[in-house]
Amino acid sequence: MAALTINMPTPARRRTHHRRALRRLAVQVFAIVLLIVTLAPLLWMVQMSFHPSTDVLSLTLVHPTLENYAALWTGRFPASFGNSLVASSVSTALALLTGVPAAYSLSRWRFRARRKVALWILATRMAPPIAFTIPFFLAYRYLHLFDTVTGLIIIYLTFNVPLVVWTMRAFFDGVPHALEEAAWTDGCDIWQAFWRITLPLSVPGLAATTILCFILSWNDFFFALILTRTKAMTAPVAIVNFMQYEGWEWGKIAAAGTLVMLPVVAFTFLVRAYLIQGLMAGGVKE
Amino acid sequence: MAFNFSLSLTRHLRAAPRSAAKSRAATGWDRHRQRLFALGLAPALVVLAATTLAPAVYLVVTSLTPLTPVNPATAFDFSSPWQNYFSALTDARFLHSLWVQVQLSLVTVTMQLAVGLGLALLLDLPSRLIGALRTGFLLPMVLPPIVVAIVWKVLLTPDVSPLHHSLAAIGMPVHSLITNGGTALWAIAFADTWEWFPFTMLMLLAALQMVPREPIEAATIDGAGSLQMFWYVRLPYIRQALVVTAMFRLIDSIKAFPLIYILTDGGPARATEVTNYFAFIQTFNFSYWGYGSAIATLMVAGVLLLSLAINRLGTDGGVDH
Repeated sequence: MAALTINMPTPARRRTHHRRALRRLAVQVFAIVLLIVTLAPLLWMVQMSFHPSTDVLSLTLVHPTLENYAALWTGRFPASFGNSLVASSVSTALALLTGVPAAYSLSRWRFRARRKVALWILATRMAPPIAFTIPFFLAYRYLHLFDTVTGLIIIYLTFNVPLVVWTMRAFFDGVPHALEEAAWTDGCDIWQAFWRITLPLSVPGLAATTILCFILSWNDFFFALILTRTKAMTAPVAIVNFMQYEGWEWGKIAAAGTLVMLPVVAFTFLVRAYLIQGLMAGGVKE
Repeated sequence: MAFNFSLSLTRHLRAAPRSAAKSRAATGWDRHRQRLFALGLAPALVVLAATTLAPAVYLVVTSLTPLTPVNPATAFDFSSPWQNYFSALTDARFLHSLWVQVQLSLVTVTMQLAVGLGLALLLDLPSRLIGALRTGFLLPMVLPPIVVAIVWKVLLTPDVSPLHHSLAAIGMPVHSLITNGGTALWAIAFADTWEWFPFTMLMLLAALQMVPREPIEAATIDGAGSLQMFWYVRLPYIRQALVVTAMFRLIDSIKAFPLIYILTDGGPARATEVTNYFAFIQTFNFSYWGYGSAIATLMVAGVLLLSLAINRLGTDGGVDH
């Protein structure tokens, strides 16, 4: 009887329920408006890329055109895009290859210098890029790595390896030990158990880490600006070439900017859950 | 009985050597395990040593020389090792860059915390739509920094800016903010806040979702308003996360580069020349490699001190483990 009265929708109860639903709706509408306002500057750049070069400065898009993209295609921009792609993927692959086993060792092996290694990795993540750029710049001139994609791949390891070790260690910490220990007693050695049991369980973490490494390398501007000139120039740096003293080629700048951000935006929406996990685990960097 | 005894005896006799063998096997297995773990760790440590430790040593060594490309012999000139550091202390341009850095860092970290916290509180709702919106809000942070710089260059260049055009159209024309010494740093700070509020939002959302339900429900029953709810119930739970997030942003704010490079080039009249940019100009525009290395070394030292502070804050409050 008492339970019945509690569950009965009284007018007052219905009113608070209504109020809560209304409030929820208001929050959602407000959030949508806020998101549109926040991303408006970005959308503006994208629409600018479809302006014909003759009226880039006009505010309304009357005759949308692909001429800016066509102009990019025939220039040197595709080559720089290729450089970005190669440098980012190879550096990511190398970082995973060395970093993943290290992360597992750090997660499972209690050795004396463990904390020191962790601190070292954290410090590397914190250090300002200029501190790496100066010695790399000086060394590359002697090692003939200046203005090469190989040189970029190596310097991208300075942030990719710590990122892989740091985030994957957090993911491995979350995988229960019991299964591996069972595999050990069944005669697997550590790396067999890792390969067959722990790694398959960490695929989401691995995906998140891979994407983060790729995005960070792809987004790099500072290292490529200093360590490349023409041959190994990456896409973000190539955009700067459209900013000449005679005048900025706004249409091409906007089109190139749109192309450079496209893979990153696609990744963000395709794998957002993994990405957020990765961002959180690593405490992230730019 | 005798049979029994002998059985238990033999069992006992057999057990002793077997357990010894087992423990020997166990330590052997342990040693084997440790070797395998070390094998997994070694490649990464070698790569890290080559790409981070060696450059760090090289940086510090270079900072003790007056190295410039004009005179290669200066690479080994350690006659007055502290010269670059003394120069820095009396270099008005360097000291000014520190002051600009302090202003930029304080303003951006404060604004990012405020915006990020506001959004986190707004978006702390279990709803699919809100989940999708959160991803949208993340975008500025994952965009290539060069794209962020272009976006803001467009908005802040009067010729092409829709903002400047609209303001002019309604009779309130505004002069360029990035060529004005009084507003340029604010413009950079605003753009930087746009780029990095998603980070603070993300960290604080995670912290908010860790707040237990009970105190919130109790406070609701007691009739707490939303402001009281925030101040007395949620804030105490996320205070630690706020501090750690602020420290992370503080450290990263020292690295701001593409925005300054594209928007103002450190100008006008060095109004936006932060320490990082100063080091960049000294090293790569003026080729004072020794001096630039000294500035970079000082920056690393500063960052390491801040990192130690984070580590302490993180472990004290139980955020890190």
